[in-house]
Amino acid sequence: MSVSSVDKRVREHGIRLFREKFGKIVKNILENKPPVLLIPKRTLSNTIYDEKNKMLLLGPEYLRRSFFDMNEAKKFMQTMLMASIIYDALVNNEYPTIRDIYYRGKHTIRVKKKGMRMEEENTWDKQSESDSVIRDIEVYLGILREELLILSKEKGKVVGNMRIRSGDDVIDLSRMGHGAYSIEPTPDLIEFLDVDAEFVLVVEKDAVFQQLHRYGFWKKYKAILITSAGQPDRATRRFVRRLNDELGLPVYILADSDPYGWYIYSVFKIGSITLSYESERLATPAARFIGVNMTDVFGTSILNINKLKKKLPPDIVEAISKLPPKKPYLSERERRNYIIKAKPKDVERAIELCGYDVADACLGNVRDEKIRKAIRGKEGIPGYPWFRKPEWIRELCIFFHTLAKLEIEAIASKGLRFLADKYIPQKIETGDWIT
Amino acid sequence: MATTSEAARFRHISPAEFFAKYKEIAGFGNPSRAMYQTVRELVENALDATDSHGILPNIKIIISRPASSTSSNHYTITVEDNGIGIPPQHVPNAFGKVLFSSKYVQRQTRGMFGLGVKAAIIYAQKTTGEPVEVVTSTIGSKRIYYFKIKIDLAKNEPIIVERGSWRKSREWHGTIASLTIEGDWGRSARRLIIEYIKRTAVVTPYANIVFVTPDKQVYFFKRTINKLPPPPKEVKPHPRGIDLTFIKDLIKSTKKDTVKDMLVKNLQGVGDKIAEDALRLAGIDPNKSPHKLSDDEIKRLVAVLRGIDPDYLYRLQGSVGEKTVAEAISENIVGIKYEQAIAAAKEAGIDPQRLYAELSEEEIDSLAKALKRFYPRYKAPSSESLSPLGEEIIIEGLKRIYHPEFVAATTRRPSAYQGHPFIVEVGIAYGGKIPSRNRPQLLRYANKIPLLRESSDDISWKVVMGLSSRRAAAEIDKDKAMREFWSQYGVEFPAPLVVLTHICSTKIPFTGVGKESIADVPEIERELRLGLMDVARKLKRYLTQKKLEAEKKRRVIVLAKYIPEVTRSLTIIAKDIFGNGIEEKLRNKLIELAAHRIGIEQEEVKEIVDSVETGV
Ligand SMILES: Nc1ncnc2c1ncn2[C@@H]1O[C@H](COP(=O)(O)OP(=O)(O)O)[C@@H](O)[C@H]1O
Ligand SMILES: [Mg+2]
Repeated sequence: MSVSSVDKRVREHGIRLFREKFGKIVKNILENKPPVLLIPKRTLSNTIYDEKNKMLLLGPEYLRRSFFDMNEAKKFMQTMLMASIIYDALVNNEYPTIRDIYYRGKHTIRVKKKGMRMEEENTWDKQSESDSVIRDIEVYLGILREELLILSKEKGKVVGNMRIRSGDDVIDLSRMGHGAYSIEPTPDLIEFLDVDAEFVLVVEKDAVFQQLHRYGFWKKYKAILITSAGQPDRATRRFVRRLNDELGLPVYILADSDPYGWYIYSVFKIGSITLSYESERLATPAARFIGVNMTDVFGTSILNINKLKKKLPPDIVEAISKLPPKKPYLSERERRNYIIKAKPKDVERAIELCGYDVADACLGNVRDEKIRKAIRGKEGIPGYPWFRKPEWIRELCIFFHTLAKLEIEAIASKGLRFLADKYIPQKIETGDWIT
Repeated sequence: MATTSEAARFRHISPAEFFAKYKEIAGFGNPSRAMYQTVRELVENALDATDSHGILPNIKIIISRPASSTSSNHYTITVEDNGIGIPPQHVPNAFGKVLFSSKYVQRQTRGMFGLGVKAAIIYAQKTTGEPVEVVTSTIGSKRIYYFKIKIDLAKNEPIIVERGSWRKSREWHGTIASLTIEGDWGRSARRLIIEYIKRTAVVTPYANIVFVTPDKQVYFFKRTINKLPPPPKEVKPHPRGIDLTFIKDLIKSTKKDTVKDMLVKNLQGVGDKIAEDALRLAGIDPNKSPHKLSDDEIKRLVAVLRGIDPDYLYRLQGSVGEKTVAEAISENIVGIKYEQAIAAAKEAGIDPQRLYAELSEEEIDSLAKALKRFYPRYKAPSSESLSPLGEEIIIEGLKRIYHPEFVAATTRRPSAYQGHPFIVEVGIAYGGKIPSRNRPQLLRYANKIPLLRESSDDISWKVVMGLSSRRAAAEIDKDKAMREFWSQYGVEFPAPLVVLTHICSTKIPFTGVGKESIADVPEIERELRLGLMDVARKLKRYLTQKKLEAEKKRRVIVLAKYIPEVTRSLTIIAKDIFGNGIEEKLRNKLIELAAHRIGIEQEEVKEIVDSVETGV
């Protein structure tokens, strides 16, 4: 079997890391020091929003996982077990998936002593348990699992005018036919060779990606076209980040106009809230939300600024009123055909993003009892700092006011040409996006 | 009845007749109680005839339905023992004359008054008409004697219905007594009798006890220890415990010529000096013939011998009117003159001219203390007459019946109240086969007799419930006090807890005629409390230890069970650095560190590590 030189390098790095960090534990034990792991805490409370770098990061808290602490003993054992599995795979040139790892490590520990009730337990039971241990290893070693050659299903796709080296092969991303290059689970091992592009367009939906691809969008507008096919996996996020970081390409995100779409944007930009330790390498703080905006659908005249004054801080209202007004891209009739009514779950998500006060200030007369209940349940939620910008508050305010959401297809329905040749280029040109 | 004459109403009635009439007093109120009481009387006589005489008891109790009887509620109760037996000449009186007893002496036995078995015989006679049947032979006697006896109630005399004897063909001594009564074997009677026998078995682990029920069920409590409690010795009565009747009886029977000699000869701890002092205080010439003492002199003598009694001083407050302290004391306390009363009051820090009725309780107590100086001082009553069970027997007994995981007992040093010696013993049993209950299960004993009824009136109950005084008992939430008390000793209810209290004394202060509960006597309460605290502390130590052990065990298992997996896993990485021998080294080191951390032997951790099977 021929292994790429890149993989070899990564493997060797991983192996070294394991030997160094776990060899230290063994050494401590041999020197009569009790076995202890110091792992950065992966809890929400130890998650910090780094204003300067605009990312979610792990805080300074560490978790002392001592083998001799009754409550930590099992976790300690699991961490050792996981380390041995990953190390073994690295050494043996394997590429396990997280599911493989789960099965490799799952077995029964049985205490069968005379005069004692037999005790039996599994090293772990559900995959969620072993996945969590993988995350512990990641933060303990300060490395992402992809760099340990642990694979997951490929989801993201890319096409564009660029050539890369993956493994020992050179791939031309402009010669993928109707297909596309699947972003490999280890994007750090990709080498960018030459690129002729001016920006990156990430499309949430695979179908829209295919439409734009076949339409020749990326050729015409010198774009790198990417889809995350829904919630982005780590590889896609890392890939996008590298394009932004290393090639200086601006990144535009095109998602649905609903809380789910906004959250996907948020994950690209800031990182996922529960896995903040990855952000440093995965987040693209400069990512721009290009649409679909609520203001693209409804325009800005639908907002009653005076009404906002009652419930929102004056500086925010002031800032909103200074934003340039927008006309809708859709007519009243087009709009009516594509609007979807928001569900209670959507309203809850939206409040989590931007805060209860925005909802409270913008909601009209809500008749739906379920939605009213959902709103009440979120009272006092502050919202995330990166959604407390006038532009976002204006977007969400329209959402609360109309309780309507819209998919990208609504724009595409006016014709692919409209989307590709008018909507996207015009928005980029006029700077009609939000960061 | 207007026609009844005075004479008829005050007619003298014989003790036998008395018990025939007032059968509830002796415990024969209804058939069910009568069954229980009959078993008790016979069993207690059987035990008195064995363990008090250094014989390891073999007791057999059989209750059956007599074949010949037409009535379904007639029962024959037979108790056999291997005791000292009864000399044939005494058998008729022992079973046929109320108040005839061989135990009228100052030593602790179960029976005391020569009443017990006769009450049962009278009950049998009145309900079924059957006489008592006795088969007996003394140690060393060549014959076995056989009697059927009834009681002439009016005369309180035995009627011998049948008698006989035969040669002993085997070495047997003891007594078989059999009674047929109108009884009851319903649920409550059955429960009571079985409980009684079980509780008797608790304090007689040195006895074999067989019990056969009317349903032919057999209970067998096998002897588990070959040691008897020391047999009680006979002692003279202590002067503080005597009363008027005692002195009068003494005067009747004494052969001494002077009161002084009579006292010296018959009272415990009274020598020439004390006798003279006492007689001087009572204003009696020591050389006076006992027979010439006047009633008043006898009264004064008893008062002096009994000594200063604070209780009497309290009661006096109600009857002295406007008298001053000095007056009240000198006029009412035998042998104390006016000046002495003044001196005693001053010593007690009391103005002698204050009104006596206005003294506080504490002042009376100090006054009593000051007055004692003028009275003879005695040694504490001898406890040789007492027969405590001893710690070993209590422990053994609790084990044999309850199979607990922990048991402890304590025998307190002898003490005395009002001239009566007593010893308190407390046992405690926990866990094992004892069922958990919301309260401690209390087993009360007086002179080795189980007390089954009226438990909540009993001083032991109060102490075991953690209540400090009678008044407090009425006011506070009893259960809460009990829980708090026991939780100090690490016991949380429901708990598998049995507490045994044994009070032995030449005079047990029962609360009533039922003789089922013991009165609040401060001296006894104190001893009970100290005894209970002693065993409860031992229990606490045990429970704490056990908890620690359990905690340790749990920790050993939790840590040890992962050692093989951790070793195996680390070795996969470490063998590439440290070489192949690392697995063994790591394992031993982890065992060592874990043992050190928990504070146990490495061997213990190793055992568990070795017993771990890790699947793949
Ligand atoms: N099983 C027995 N063995 C030896 N003596 C007995 C037995 N039962 C009764 N006696 C004698 O009969 C006497 C009277 O017994 P009882 O009426 O029960 O009175 P008490 O037990 O109070 O003395 C006892 O004191 C004892 O001398
Ligand atoms: Mg008796």
